[in-house]
Amino acid sequence: MKPTAEVVHAASALSSWMSGVCTEVNKLSSDVAALLERNLAGKSKVDRAALKGVDAYPRDFLTRNSYAAGAGTFFAVETIDDKVPALDWWARKEYGTIGRLDLDMTPGSNRYYDYEKLPFFSTAASTGEQSMWGPYVDFLGFEEYILTFAAPLRVQDRFTGVTACDIRIKDLEPLIMPTLRAIPGDAALVNASNRVILGNSGSYLVGERIKSGDSNQRRVALDVPHLGLSLIYAA
Amino acid sequence: MDRITKAIGLGLLKVGERLPPEAALSEMFGVGGATLREALGELRERGIVETRRGRSGGTFVVNQPRTQTDAIRDWFLSTSISEIRDIGDEHSAIAATTVRLACERAEAHDFERLQELARALVLADTPEVRAPADSRFHIELAIAAQSPRLANAEIRLQEETVQQLWTPLAVIFDPEQATAEHLELVRAIAQDQPEKAQKLVLEHIRRNIFHLIDKKLTLGYAQSNQDGQ
Repeated sequence: MKPTAEVVHAASALSSWMSGVCTEVNKLSSDVAALLERNLAGKSKVDRAALKGVDAYPRDFLTRNSYAAGAGTFFAVETIDDKVPALDWWARKEYGTIGRLDLDMTPGSNRYYDYEKLPFFSTAASTGEQSMWGPYVDFLGFEEYILTFAAPLRVQDRFTGVTACDIRIKDLEPLIMPTLRAIPGDAALVNASNRVILGNSGSYLVGERIKSGDSNQRRVALDVPHLGLSLIYAA
Repeated sequence: MDRITKAIGLGLLKVGERLPPEAALSEMFGVGGATLREALGELRERGIVETRRGRSGGTFVVNQPRTQTDAIRDWFLSTSISEIRDIGDEHSAIAATTVRLACERAEAHDFERLQELARALVLADTPEVRAPADSRFHIELAIAAQSPRLANAEIRLQEETVQQLWTPLAVIFDPEQATAEHLELVRAIAQDQPEKAQKLVLEHIRRNIFHLIDKKLTLGYAQSNQDGQ
């Protein structure tokens, strides 16, 4: 059975919105990579000098993209000089100011934010493609319920880390709900693990996992490479 | 702040001494200026450091921080059995729902992470490391349940009791049994068995609470036991 015009329209609007975020994150990644290459001038390890000026890009990203709550770069530990903070992360703080997010980067410490183990980092590292993780509770990090869009950072032809942006689930809701509400029946945007990102009714609640097998449930994949997103809706 | 307190406790920074300048402290502890100032502010409030103005000014260590063992002993002496039981009641309510939701909502990534965190407890070889390992596992359950509020409630409950549970004061708590219980709980969640997971977590919490009450009795009423003899 072919999806209705409303479903087709919603799927295309969601694809284009999500692709827009990916485009921005990929651009952030290539801007940061280009600056690092210039600063490194052939040196192999990212050090303080190489990071000079790098913060301008995530700050500018947050200024331009009001949907994002945080943006920046997490460096692959083996590519950085010991004394450098392993992340350059900027977050929108109260009253709309943008400030650096300081996380505990001491292995073994109680509040150590071991980002290399988190899927937004490890997926980008292993696939070399853009990825999205969430909704998840970002414990020890941003400490919010978020989605993270990530793109691998390649410097001098080597995986150097991940450039990413966070979107709060509560900020995403008003942005994409109107699109979902245009579908007459129950519908939801779901991630690659079949987890609801946002539903247009109480039937699909954010964070829940969709059990397949309901014969009334239809699915259309969103046209956003590597993210595994789909729109499910009632037949 | 923990690390500055520890440095004072270990005598690296002595009472009466002036702290090195902020930039040097930032370097020493590997934290940014904002984090450092926040930590110093808290230590100032707790009366451990004092900032003086003027030519011979600066931030000075004025008091030895109380050791954690002192604080834990005080907690046992000042907390009644009814209050310990009540902490267990609240924890049971939070944990029961947490594990039921985790059964529904967790995915492969979460099971692996929970297993790894469960094993970290038995690999931890001192009480100081067991406490954070244990609390980290419980917080991760709430993260697997996808609930920021349950995670916050769990963090608060863990902060309230996890040090007391693992302190070697009086009665030692066995990390192997706790780990076995954690691993069994992860299996129940991975197999999506909410009834079993709930039963396991409630038993686990009851055992923790019994242990806290045991310690309370040993520390608080050992004297009256002797007096009665």
